[in-house]
Amino acid sequence: MSDWFGPEEMQAISLSLKVALWAVVLSLPFGIFTAYALARWQFRGKQLLNGLVHLPLILPPVVTGYLLLLLFGRRGPVGAWLEETLGLVLAFRWTGAVLAAAIMAFPLMVRAIRLAIEAVDPRLEEAAATLGARRLAVFTTITLPMILPGIITGAILAFAKAMGEFGATITFVSNIPGQTQTLPSAIYAFLQVPGGEASALRLVLISVAIALGALFFSEYLSRRATARIGNGQ
Amino acid sequence: MLALALGLFGAPVSLAAEPVVVFAAASLKTALDEVAKTYANNTSIGVTISYAGSSALARQVENGAPADIFISANSAWMDALGEQGLIVPESRRDLLGNRLVLIAPTANASNAQLADPDSIAGALRGERFAMALFNAVPAGIYAREALEALGLWNMVQPHIAQTSNVRAALRLVSLGEAPLGIVYATDARADTGVTVLDQFPPELHAPILYPVALLSREVNHDTREFYEYLNSPEATDIFRAHGFLIPGESGE
Repeated sequence: MSDWFGPEEMQAISLSLKVALWAVVLSLPFGIFTAYALARWQFRGKQLLNGLVHLPLILPPVVTGYLLLLLFGRRGPVGAWLEETLGLVLAFRWTGAVLAAAIMAFPLMVRAIRLAIEAVDPRLEEAAATLGARRLAVFTTITLPMILPGIITGAILAFAKAMGEFGATITFVSNIPGQTQTLPSAIYAFLQVPGGEASALRLVLISVAIALGALFFSEYLSRRATARIGNGQ
Repeated sequence: MLALALGLFGAPVSLAAEPVVVFAAASLKTALDEVAKTYANNTSIGVTISYAGSSALARQVENGAPADIFISANSAWMDALGEQGLIVPESRRDLLGNRLVLIAPTANASNAQLADPDSIAGALRGERFAMALFNAVPAGIYAREALEALGLWNMVQPHIAQTSNVRAALRLVSLGEAPLGIVYATDARADTGVTVLDQFPPELHAPILYPVALLSREVNHDTREFYEYLNSPEATDIFRAHGFLIPGESGE
C-alpha cells in the first residue's frame, strides 16, 4: 500500500481515521443524553435545543467553521478560556478538527438515536420502575439494550460524516499536513491543480472503501444486537 | 394570454436577450461586478457572471458548461483549456496582474520585514503563518516561490496554516488568529482588519496574471463586445482602482 501512497497521503488517511474515531467516541455520550432528553423529557427550551442540535445540518459548513473559529480560535472567548484554564488549544490542531467533525456529525447521531428511543414502549420502562429499579438502572438494563441498534446506526452515520467533513474543518483549522490535513482536504488540494485527478481518485477510492467497510460493520453489529433482543436476552 | 406569453418570451425577443455568460475567478468579484454594472448602464446586452475558483470553472468548461468568456486567476488552467481546443487561441490575452503582500492584523501588527528573517520569526513566535494551499492554489504557489527565493521557506514552512483559498488566509489574519499571512494586494485592500507590512518583489515568483479568452463555442456579437469592453479605458480604470495591475504598464 505504501507504494501506492506517498507519506503525506498515508498521513492524511491515518489522521482522518483518528479524527473521525475521536469525534464519534467523544460525542456519543452527549449524543445519547441529548437524544434521550429530546425523546422523553418535557422542558423549557426543548425546541430551542432541538434547533441548535440541527443547526450544523442547515448552515453551510463554511459558516459553521467560521463560527467555530470565532468562538474557539485563540482570540475567541471560549478558545482563550480553554487555553488559559486547561491549556487546551484547538485552533490549527488536530483536536480542533475533532471538534469540527463532531459538531457536523452530531445532528445525524442524535436523530438516529432519538428515533430508536421513541420506538421503545415507555410502559416497559415504567414496569421496570414499578418493580423498584432506579432511573439509571432502568436506562441501562431496559432502554439501552433496546436502542443499541439505533446507537450503532447513529455512531456509524456520525463516523461517515466525520470522515467526509471538509468545509467546517478547513475553515476552522486550515490545512496543516499531519495536524489537520484530512482526506477531504488532501482530495481538495489535488483537484486544484491540472492533472491532479489521478491522485485525487486514489484517495477517493480509499474514502469509499473505509465508508463501505464501516457500513458493513455497522450492519453486522446491528443485526447481532437485534437478534439478541429477539432472543429475549 | 398564451399569445401574450409567446410574444413576451418568444424567439425574436429571447435571441436579443440571451446574456453573455462569463466564468471568472472568485478573486475578481468586487472589481468585475463593478465593471459589469458600468457596462450595463451603456448597453442593452445582459452579462451573467459566475464566480468560483479557477479550477472549478475550468473543469465545468471541460465538461461542456455553456460559458462564453473565461477569466482565470492563473495561466495553468487557461493552458489546460487551450490544449483541449476549448478556447479561441488568438483571443487569449493577459487582462490583469496582481502582486503579493505580507500582512498582519491591524489590531496587533508587528513590523516584520521580508529582508529581515529575525523580524519574521519574532512576529510569528510559534504561531501560524497563513497562506493559500502552497501546492495547489495559485496564491499559495506564488507565495512559496517567493519565500524560497528569499531563503525564508525552511524557517516559515513548519508554521504555515494552509487555507482553501486566499480569502480564507486573509480572514485568519484579519481575526488575529495568525500574526502573519501572504495574500494578493487586492485582497489586503479589501479588508481593513489587515495591514500591509511589506511587498514582495514581483521578480521572485512567476508572473501573477489573469488571462482572459473567448471559449470556442459560437462567438456572437454580444460576447465579442463585452470581451472588448474588458480592455476599455473605463474598465481598466475600475480594475486599477481595486488594486489590480494592468499588464504592459509601468510599475509591473
